[in-house]
Amino acid sequence: MKKGKRRTEGQSGFRKKDLMAWLVMTPSLLLFAFFVWEPLIENIRLSFFSTKMYQVVDFIGLNNYKAVINDVDFMAAFKNTFAYTFWSLLIGFFVPMIIGVLISETVHLKGFFRMAVYFPNIMPSLATIWIWSYFFLPGPTGVLNILFGKLGMEPFEWLNNPAWTIPLIVITLTWKSAGATALIYMANISSISPDLYEAATIDGAGIIQRVRHITAPSIIGIAKTMLILQIISVFQILYEPMIFKNGGPNNASISLMMLMYRYGYRDYNVGKAAALSVMVCIILVILSGIYMKATAKKEEN
Amino acid sequence: MFFNKYNDKKDGVIRGYDIRSPKIKVLAVLIMLVCLFMVCVCLFPAIWVFLASFKDIREFTKNVTIIPDSFDWSRMGQTWKAFKFTKYYYNSFISIIGSTICAVFFNGLLAYGLGVLRPKGYKIALGLVMWSLMIPGVTSIVALFRNINLVGLNKSFIPLWFSFGANAFWVVLFKQFFEEIPKELLEAAKLDGCGVFQIFTRIMLPLSKPIIMVVAIFAVTAAWSDFLLPYLVLNGTDKVTVMVKLFSFKDTPTDAVSVLRASFFAIIPPTIIFAIFQRKITDGAAAGAVKG
Repeated sequence: MKKGKRRTEGQSGFRKKDLMAWLVMTPSLLLFAFFVWEPLIENIRLSFFSTKMYQVVDFIGLNNYKAVINDVDFMAAFKNTFAYTFWSLLIGFFVPMIIGVLISETVHLKGFFRMAVYFPNIMPSLATIWIWSYFFLPGPTGVLNILFGKLGMEPFEWLNNPAWTIPLIVITLTWKSAGATALIYMANISSISPDLYEAATIDGAGIIQRVRHITAPSIIGIAKTMLILQIISVFQILYEPMIFKNGGPNNASISLMMLMYRYGYRDYNVGKAAALSVMVCIILVILSGIYMKATAKKEEN
Repeated sequence: MFFNKYNDKKDGVIRGYDIRSPKIKVLAVLIMLVCLFMVCVCLFPAIWVFLASFKDIREFTKNVTIIPDSFDWSRMGQTWKAFKFTKYYYNSFISIIGSTICAVFFNGLLAYGLGVLRPKGYKIALGLVMWSLMIPGVTSIVALFRNINLVGLNKSFIPLWFSFGANAFWVVLFKQFFEEIPKELLEAAKLDGCGVFQIFTRIMLPLSKPIIMVVAIFAVTAAWSDFLLPYLVLNGTDKVTVMVKLFSFKDTPTDAVSVLRASFFAIIPPTIIFAIFQRKITDGAAAGAVKG
């Protein structure tokens, strides 16, 4: 605001009102600055320096970035990110949609179904990870092997088989989060006008055709949003590979965030950890930009 | 009758008039069975950990069963005492109280500024908040932990409490609710001589009980489950919370049964909260995400 303008508007109390409003917001903005914004900027700064424990030592330009890219583990983690994304698109994207459509078709116990599919979401993720790790135990006493054994199957290797590790981790993630997404789809489905279905029935559309031509187009908008949110969350996978197999077997499940955690808290190489997280942040900012554009278009319509 | 209820069906693809056809009847039953199967998949891990907690280590590693031989509650008590879980529960409780108060107060205050007061230049702050909705905190955890060390707040609950005061998603939830509150109420309060802050505490907060409940429930469960920052800040002190203890099993070899019992203890409080507030939680989850 310019000085001259202030003087003229000061009379009406306009300036004071603005100032008061900013004062009211200041404590919260300070918290955002300390916990969210400053660390982001600090990360960028740290990524250009060599560090000793948490002390900044020397400016080394892009050396941290070079060190990260030349790390064998980084290439593994980078490749795995694509595998994680692929599997979570295949499993994590469609499962909540199917759950939402199916529960919408029930009239008995509907409230119970809604509650039950959401239940994994409120369980602490750490506890569920530990529980799943015993489900995936390879021997005959692993819970899934007990259950499949009752169907007459031989015990599986589960997470010890490198080809299965990432898909299984994605399944546990989907198990945990699908219910919440399904509730969003259900809210959308129940807002579809019944007239549409009735008109379609008069035109002779069967159940499958109604799903394809009425339900599917109605939820495609929210599905796009969910897709991008899902990809963004895939980039943050950290705890599951860490606790299940510590990134193994043989780096088969190591993720970018897990590598960052290792740099930061196993090697105490803060600069290298910062460089990696800046790289992940850039990817996320690009994805977020796409997401914002997509939702902005939706609002225009 | 099972099918009669379908006549009043309000949403979805299958309509009331469809149900006369036998083919649709079969489909409806099939969908019902698939849903029941999904319920089993969703609830089974929690039920299993409860059952497995009654096994001792011998039974756990030898027996190929789901149901334990006996339901001996004293085994649970032993693990509870051996790991000093009363202490961890108490620490988690302290962490949750502070975090929830911060979550409601600071996010609500910011939403009040961005959604109602809208001072000059508020769009910059709003834009920054919306962007932080997209950038997950875990990416800058190293820098954040360094900052906490630099200001000397390490090994204390304070950074954990305040970290809940900066949550963009909850700001958005509050903001959407505040924008629906009639402006006349605020104008009337202003005429009565209420200041900006008084309007917040005397008018906004009392009118916002539903959304405060939703954010508070989310904050309680999130604070209970939170572990990366608490682990970095509290590990090795006497302020260890339940989740920090669970996370530390990663580095210290612990027998399977103890880990399972600890996991069981960790899922009890959220389960109780969910049982009480399930309607509010499921409605809040659907509504918040659609608009947010």
